[in-house]
Amino acid sequence: MKNQCLISKAFIILQVLIVSFLLLSVNPASARLTAKANHDHITVDFFYHGSTVSVRGISDPDTDLIIKITSDEGHQTLREKGKVGGLLWMNVGELKIEHVPNVYFLHSTKNIEDILTQAQINKYVIGYSSLERHTEMNVSDEGEKSKWFNEFVKFKESSNLYATTAGKISLTEKDGVQNYYILTQWPFQAPPGQYTVTVYAVKDKKVVDTATSNVSVEQIGMVKSFANMAKNSAAEYGFISIIVALSTGFGVGLIFRKSGGAH
Amino acid sequence: MYLYLPVALTSINILIPIGLGLLVGVLSGLFGVGGGFLMTPLLIMFGIPSTVAAATDSNQIVAASVSGTYAHWKVGNVDFKMGLYLLIGGFLGGLLGVEFIKVLRAMGNAGFVIKVTYVLMLGIVGTYMFVESIQSMRKKKSEEVVQEKESRITNFLKSLPFQTRFEKSGITHSVIVPVFLGGIVGILAAIMGVGGGFLMVPIMFYILKMPMHVIVGTSLFQILFTCIEVTFLQSYTNHTVDFVLAVLLLLGSTFGAQVGAIFGRKLKADQLKILLAVVVLLVTVKIISDLTLSPSLLLSQGGGH
Repeated sequence: MKNQCLISKAFIILQVLIVSFLLLSVNPASARLTAKANHDHITVDFFYHGSTVSVRGISDPDTDLIIKITSDEGHQTLREKGKVGGLLWMNVGELKIEHVPNVYFLHSTKNIEDILTQAQINKYVIGYSSLERHTEMNVSDEGEKSKWFNEFVKFKESSNLYATTAGKISLTEKDGVQNYYILTQWPFQAPPGQYTVTVYAVKDKKVVDTATSNVSVEQIGMVKSFANMAKNSAAEYGFISIIVALSTGFGVGLIFRKSGGAH
Repeated sequence: MYLYLPVALTSINILIPIGLGLLVGVLSGLFGVGGGFLMTPLLIMFGIPSTVAAATDSNQIVAASVSGTYAHWKVGNVDFKMGLYLLIGGFLGGLLGVEFIKVLRAMGNAGFVIKVTYVLMLGIVGTYMFVESIQSMRKKKSEEVVQEKESRITNFLKSLPFQTRFEKSGITHSVIVPVFLGGIVGILAAIMGVGGGFLMVPIMFYILKMPMHVIVGTSLFQILFTCIEVTFLQSYTNHTVDFVLAVLLLLGSTFGAQVGAIFGRKLKADQLKILLAVVVLLVTVKIISDLTLSPSLLLSQGGGH
């Protein structure tokens, strides 16, 4: 009985040692990283015009930080403009991109190329260049892929759905702990859905720890009712839209008639 | 004040759609055009996705055209019989046009040919109207002079069967003529994604020989039904009509259409023609500049999720 107890204790100690070894081998230089997105449930009503999202947490001192906010990956289909007959700009085809998020925000304490190796950048899909490698496109060669991915980023940035900044995360150190904080504008163009906030702690050109949090954007009230009706009761929605347009047009006509606007 | 649009999934200052509605409504009441050529690109410019812009525009045109038709009907300027034949043609043309688009897409470069043809057509119609209106304004000798030599086209039209009298317009035509012309405009409207009012109005004037003031009311009457059909189809099949945006637009456009109709009655036919010619030419210049100037972005919204 005593022997069994000793074997059992030894087994537990061994398990703890194995788990500790595994954890240390994954995160050799960091023991703590937290991430919390404040205002993580954004509600969209009629007066919604974007919001702000702040991300804060703690990390080991002397670590750089990268905060990535993305939507789930999916496919995007965009219209390509090109010159036809060497003269006229027209839609010439469709660009189909796979494994690409609709929203991609990246904030870092320093330029990511200065704090991470290319291999690490690619591994964690940090920054536009790694995102380009990560995606698939219906183009003929790498040159074309690079050209159209740049255009894609330009298009997304113009819609406020893609952005990168360096040096805007504020860092303060207290009691041997580094506190980080960033306040970002959340664009009204970002559609309702779930977004993932991933924070990477970086040291010696390596990601040493990651922490995640979520931001959800949800339509509420009448906005939600209209959006649902447009999707799920399309015939009734179309019918109501027409009736409202007809009655408004006719109503305004009557107002003008009564006010003597027309004879 | 900003309002969130549930289908367009974007937020917009309410003064923008109301102002745009007012502007396009005035054009609508004045010339009998829907104004989609102007409204859709402007909405896209203000961040509305192109599919939602086109579909919602057709919804607001329903309001503007019913408002304008009502204003013109009160003073007896709507030829319902002619409008109905044009409408039948337009409906059939629209169906044909939708099928034609599929063939054109398969052909690849056909879009280029259509766009060039459209620009040329607008340019020629605009220039012809402009020159003809100026000449007509100079010829103030007598009303009789207007009776031009019967052209080959007029003779041909008179030789067609099923001739019928259009009392309101004071003209006689074969039923085939408005149905055919409505069909042509319907095909073009479906292919180009525009209402076709800019082509319909000159066709009514120069080929059907209708009086200018009756043209405006009749064109609006026809546009009303075309846009009801388009609004329903867009909301049913593509779910792209934004009701909130449409309400903001039509708040402006219904008033604008009434104002346009009032101004229109104060203008002479030639003045209306020359103004319309100027607007047609401006639209032509805008389309040409869009086609020739390098765009800032080479990608635009398509589909996907």
